Amino acid sequence: MVNDDVVFSDATADRLEAYMHNPDGMILELIDLSVRVGTRDVLSHIGMSIPEGEVHALLGPNGSGKSSLLMTIMGFPEYVVTGGSIWFKGQDITDAEVHERVRMGLAIAQQRPPTIRGITLRTLLGYILRGDPDAAGRLSELASASQMDSLLDRDINHGLSGGEIKRSELLQLFALSPLFSLMDEPDSGVDVVALTLMGEMINRHFISDPEHPVLRKAGLIITHNGNILEQLPIDKAHVMVNGRMGCSGNPSILMHHINKFGYESCVRCRDCREE
Amino acid sequence: MILDVADHEILTSAGVSLDEESRAGAFVMCDHAQAFLRTGSSGYELLPIADALDKYSWLREQYFFHAVASDLDDTVSRCAEEPHPLGFFLHIQKGSDISLPVQAVMYMKSDSIEQRVHNIIILEEDSRVHLITGCLAGHQSRTSTHIAIEELYIGKRAKLVSTMVHTWGADQHVYPFTGAIVEEGGRFESNYVSLRPAKLLVSNPQTWLIGRRASAKYLTVVLASPGSTMETGGVVHMDAEETAAELAHRGVCTGGVMKQGGMLIGNSSCKAHVDCAGMLLDSGDDGYIESVPGLCSRHPDARMSHEASIGKIAPEEVAYLMSKGMEEREAISMLVRGFLGTDIDGLGTALDEQISSIVEVAGHGEG
Repeated sequence: MVNDDVVFSDATADRLEAYMHNPDGMILELIDLSVRVGTRDVLSHIGMSIPEGEVHALLGPNGSGKSSLLMTIMGFPEYVVTGGSIWFKGQDITDAEVHERVRMGLAIAQQRPPTIRGITLRTLLGYILRGDPDAAGRLSELASASQMDSLLDRDINHGLSGGEIKRSELLQLFALSPLFSLMDEPDSGVDVVALTLMGEMINRHFISDPEHPVLRKAGLIITHNGNILEQLPIDKAHVMVNGRMGCSGNPSILMHHINKFGYESCVRCRDCREE
Repeated sequence: MILDVADHEILTSAGVSLDEESRAGAFVMCDHAQAFLRTGSSGYELLPIADALDKYSWLREQYFFHAVASDLDDTVSRCAEEPHPLGFFLHIQKGSDISLPVQAVMYMKSDSIEQRVHNIIILEEDSRVHLITGCLAGHQSRTSTHIAIEELYIGKRAKLVSTMVHTWGADQHVYPFTGAIVEEGGRFESNYVSLRPAKLLVSNPQTWLIGRRASAKYLTVVLASPGSTMETGGVVHMDAEETAAELAHRGVCTGGVMKQGGMLIGNSSCKAHVDCAGMLLDSGDDGYIESVPGLCSRHPDARMSHEASIGKIAPEEVAYLMSKGMEEREAISMLVRGFLGTDIDGLGTALDEQISSIVEVAGHGEG
């Protein structure tokens, strides 16, 4: 019951609103999800639940289907759902188009986004921030925080280094200010300094109410090497192997195990095997 | 002939502006008659070409049919025999920098006419101007023909930016003949936009860079739709040291025939590049894009290059923009706009509707 006399911050009020619409408290649920790209089955019977306010990590060897899972959640048309469903804020979004998912509060920072000639990053950010009364100020603030000021007038991703592409993707994601963030390997191919910068940026992004840093926005972050785990509190980690979901649990324990025995041990693991 | 409200609406939809706030001067020709003339600021002269030829004997002697040969072909020869040519004369005086663009309009209102115009533009030393020319047909003008001879003379260190917007009907024939001569340190920038195609358009402007460090830059943006044939080329003769040229063609084909050309001729030390890019959205029954950029060097210090590419809208680019919140149509619109590069100064938002009509075609079957 919400007492009308109590005044909440906007962020807390938003969270309460979200809870009221989604009493299970799961912002994202994947139920028995199977996916095909072209003629290839890339995901098989995936199940995953992420509660409101939690940030989860997705671990796994190269080619295990991590990126495919994020692209499927985002609704990219190349990723065809052949079975199961995707639920966001209590709604079935399995058949929703990409832009509809964005408008519901999902956003992605891709690992390998396309280069688009003729459209600058500034133009795209201008579109994303079109409803903001202080769009110019916000654009400037975000670009400065991500150290992308000098690259705003480049065509999207044209001639950018790997680290710059990651910062560009995060910058766009922050501008979208989503309820749920999908990030594909923000920590790969970047040096220690850049990793610290990105860790700080991502941390700030997930804190929805600075006065209550425990209350966070939700998200799912792919990390291959686990570096981002040292920069960011992660509530839970999941391991993917061969397009299937394996173990889930404490991020530190999982990462410790993977560092010690490698992903090969996950492949051999009873929970990851196709049976 | 007086322009009525409907005429003004047609002109406005093609990006034409006649008001004093946005144009330094304006000249409008409707069918075979002058319909509007306004000259304003000092530093330039804008006259009907026939009046200018009567007023200045040197114009006929030194400039009339000097950048375009009167015997170039039968069509030009027919124009050369015209005793009272139609069109305008724009003369920018030495050192003058005309801050607002000058607007010219060649408007075909009636059906089944052959509109022949002859324009001469002279920029004296150290002068600058932006000329915006709208060539267009009204709703009644269905099977007309437009023939335009344009001679451009750009003096030392002068700069001419010429933005030409063509808006035609499906059964019209259009034959522009342009010749430009650029002296030492002079610069010619040409933006040509035609997003409402004619049945047949053949354009192959010739530019001679005759003075050291003279330069030219062409951007040609064309749509070919079913039933149309759009041939756009461009030849730049680099006849003096340290000259430079850049030719860029951007074409979208939704059916019909699109031929993109461009020839760079290096007769001296020079630096030049020609780039033809086509986006084939729908070839229809017999549509195609043909891109043939060419180079010809007669000097060991001529550094020239060319490239050509043809493709469609990449589905992954559409999906990427949709992942930023755009609907499919918005994403395609932004991609087409980005490809065409129509962010040309002085056109404002007049081309938005025309680009939207391309997007209507592009939106089917993409995604």
